[in-house]
Amino acid sequence: MFVTLLHDANGQLRRLLAACLHLARGFREWYLRASIREQRGLKLLREWLSQEQLAQYDAHRYFEVIGCHTGKRYRICHGNGANIIELDDAALPRRGWCFVPRDPLVAGDVMLAQKIALETDERGALAVANNFTPR
Amino acid sequence: MATQIIMDLNGDTRHNFDAKDVKALLEAERRFKALTDAGFTAATRTASGESVVTRAFDPTVEETLFFPRLVGG
Repeated sequence: MFVTLLHDANGQLRRLLAACLHLARGFREWYLRASIREQRGLKLLREWLSQEQLAQYDAHRYFEVIGCHTGKRYRICHGNGANIIELDDAALPRRGWCFVPRDPLVAGDVMLAQKIALETDERGALAVANNFTPR
Repeated sequence: MATQIIMDLNGDTRHNFDAKDVKALLEAERRFKALTDAGFTAATRTASGESVVTRAFDPTVEETLFFPRLVGG
């Protein structure tokens, strides 16, 4: 009787361990895939940044762009949203802007789309953007 | 070899094609139209590295980047 119970418990424990192992493998694959996507997005961003912007990004995790219509300076911080700060003449935060690509993208892609939009169609980008008070 | 880079859930997807190959060129032009019709913005870079938005397919461009329509966040 005791041996039978022990045998059943052993079987259940094995199945539980196998299930845990399966979940852990799934989590690892998901995490690695997400990491590869993030790295790919950052690689693309780095290819498209100017040398000055790249140096800024490496040093501060943000880079600045000049709006093509107004000549205003914007700081694009690392992130997927609510990451654009309009700067005043003294380079102090004046207003925050939030616009993002419609599809969910990794941070590098989002920042690159924001950079190109501000540098080539500032008014169009801000027309769809929401603004906020920067901290 | 020319490249069309499309931002997507995988980070990006790249389509390389030989601009001297008529069939590949037609396919690249078809892809350009399909993406821009779907609201994607097409951007290229000048020799000095400046970004430029392009509305029409240019077979001489080495690299074109497509990103989805922008919306308020």
